[in-house]
Amino acid sequence: MARPAARIGLLQAVLALGALGVLARAAQLQLVQGARWRAEAERSRTMRLVLPARRGWIYDRHGVPLAVTQEYFEVGVAPNELVAPVRDGLVLARALGMPLAQVARDLRTRRWVPYPGPYNGVEVRPLRPLRGVYLTGHFSRHYPAGPLARGVIGSLLPDGSNGASGLELTLDSLLRGAPGATVELKDNRGRTYQSPSRIRREPVPGRDVYLTLDAELQEIAERALDDAMSEYLAAGGDIVVLDPRSGELLALASRKTNGDRSVTDRSSFFTDPFEPGSTAKLFTAGALLGLGRVNATESVNAEDGVWLMPTERGGTRSIHDVHKVSGRLTLADAIKVSSNIAMGKFSERLTAAEQFEALRDFGFGSPTGVEFPSEARGVLRMPDQWDMYSKPSIAMGYEFTVTPIQLAAAYGAIANDGVLLTPALVRELRDRTGDVVYRHRPEPVRRSVTPAVAHQLVRFLTAAAGRGGTGEAAQLANWVLAGKTGTAVRHDGGVYQSGHYNASFAAIFPVSDPQLIVVVKIDDPQSAKVYGGQTAAPLTRTLLEAALAARRSAIDRRRLARPTQPTPAANPGADMDEPPPGRVTLTLPLAPPAAAPAERRAIPNVSGGSLRRAASALHRRGFHVAVHGSGRVLRTTPAAGDSLRLGAIVTVWAE
Amino acid sequence: MLWLLVFLVVAMAIQARQVAGVTTFRRVDSLRQERTALEAERAELQRGIGLQVSRKVLGVRAKAELGLHFPEDSELTLLPLLPRRP
Repeated sequence: MARPAARIGLLQAVLALGALGVLARAAQLQLVQGARWRAEAERSRTMRLVLPARRGWIYDRHGVPLAVTQEYFEVGVAPNELVAPVRDGLVLARALGMPLAQVARDLRTRRWVPYPGPYNGVEVRPLRPLRGVYLTGHFSRHYPAGPLARGVIGSLLPDGSNGASGLELTLDSLLRGAPGATVELKDNRGRTYQSPSRIRREPVPGRDVYLTLDAELQEIAERALDDAMSEYLAAGGDIVVLDPRSGELLALASRKTNGDRSVTDRSSFFTDPFEPGSTAKLFTAGALLGLGRVNATESVNAEDGVWLMPTERGGTRSIHDVHKVSGRLTLADAIKVSSNIAMGKFSERLTAAEQFEALRDFGFGSPTGVEFPSEARGVLRMPDQWDMYSKPSIAMGYEFTVTPIQLAAAYGAIANDGVLLTPALVRELRDRTGDVVYRHRPEPVRRSVTPAVAHQLVRFLTAAAGRGGTGEAAQLANWVLAGKTGTAVRHDGGVYQSGHYNASFAAIFPVSDPQLIVVVKIDDPQSAKVYGGQTAAPLTRTLLEAALAARRSAIDRRRLARPTQPTPAANPGADMDEPPPGRVTLTLPLAPPAAAPAERRAIPNVSGGSLRRAASALHRRGFHVAVHGSGRVLRTTPAAGDSLRLGAIVTVWAE
Repeated sequence: MLWLLVFLVVAMAIQARQVAGVTTFRRVDSLRQERTALEAERAELQRGIGLQVSRKVLGVRAKAELGLHFPEDSELTLLPLLPRRP
């Protein structure tokens, strides 16, 4: 038996070893494996969450929402956590719009009851105070205007993450925003708690986009197109309305009948080129005038409506006019009565290169550059690929194709004193505070023709839509419009289809101070009326009448009310070198349109600061300041966060 | 003893700060939820207003119930604004 001192020593040694072991283990855990265990503890105690960003909204030019993102909720119920199951069941049934019996049955029989919904914030508001009811939110996109302009606006991918088509795709990087992140605390039962001391990065919402489209004009155009398809038994159609001074697209309507007879809106005004027919005669006329190859008095024989055009091989090609004319036609007359024969003869005064360059100068054969993910360039072959028929064919609007947007932009150039502008769909971008970060300005592409030639072409168009012209059915009673009809034989698989036409009309309204370019195209009308002058021209008139009577039209009625309205010239070719009255020659670069609204900005929060700092902050934002009181700032009128146009007065109320 | 008192005071201050932070956080969260609900309500109302004043609803009702029609351009008279006198 050892001595007590030895036993004590042994016990101490064992305890010391034990303590040493504990220390060593502690050192191992703290020093060697410390980082790993800290991370493990953090992982089991916290949860990292991604906070999705709200996708930017899309509005029309007046602020009418066309595409909005809202938070929607799924509802989950833990019946065993409900405080008053009967009363809570009633609240649930009312809020979710479900039969009370079904909700009561769910709550009795199941451990976890999911109601996927989705339900919006209004619907789930009564459920928030209920214990045992869990809401899971997610953003969802919807389109309050329904089918209005849906082809242009486009859609998102099925998971809602990114744009899939239309402007949702083109502007995706601007609309998407940046997601945020947060860290939540988690207890041993998996319940989560938000912690103010944890890092939280707020999501940055996407930018709001204000389109150039006018929702009311868009509705007018879509309804007019639907009505026209029914009336003329047409396979489809397109309508483009454009502001010639700014290049802004105000309405875009498209309808196409599918194989199963359903009708879709697939933005064919951007993607489907067609042979423009007589609406393109004007561009060859522009080349003839610009190069001085014809004057006001020169005329050609109209051949009584049938011309056997001699060809290089000694043969002939038969060219017909729908509106048969005997005698001689000037260039102005040729446009007015839409004579293929006269235009074919006049086109021989141009070389192929000259005719090609004239069309290229009006933008044909190239995409316009509008903000849309897919745009057709049309077909305009190089002159070395033309054959002996090409010059007269192109003068009549065949052998090259254009999209309705290109045609509208080209007519816009004529109305805009010869300057071609890039069509635009995006008017403004605004950030989360409402500040404008981008505003569309007219973007000149090139000068297509001189102002004098543009004015002359407008006179030709005025006569073509006036008494005795092919577009007479488009003419309004109180305002004068200029325009040109077109009726082109459709082709399918490279073969022209007899009895099938594309009827079109391109108009400038009003002629004295152009505000709108309207291009209407009717695909394959099968009623008794098939020509552009019988279908597209009256449709243009209907559309303009509705636009004039609209509550908030894109038409500036003050400009329209000016008493100077020229009448169509009796002889439109007589005054080729005189500009018409009341017109303005634009110089480059173009100034922003006078009708553009003043920029609006959000009012900063200056409450609690000194008057000096408040005044300084408001002045920096571009506001004028009116002060009431002295000392600390209490509030402003309008309140912080509201938006106000630049230069407006903000009243600061102080102590 | 003094150290213990100082410790307690500091601990209570930290606790109070945490509680205030959590309360504010919940208040902010509640306001965010309220804003979400109001945005949803506004969108619903805008959609309803847009539908009711659209031509396909209002125009049809005005025609059926009041005998109104959309005017032709010959029925429109725009009055020019006279320049202001100095």
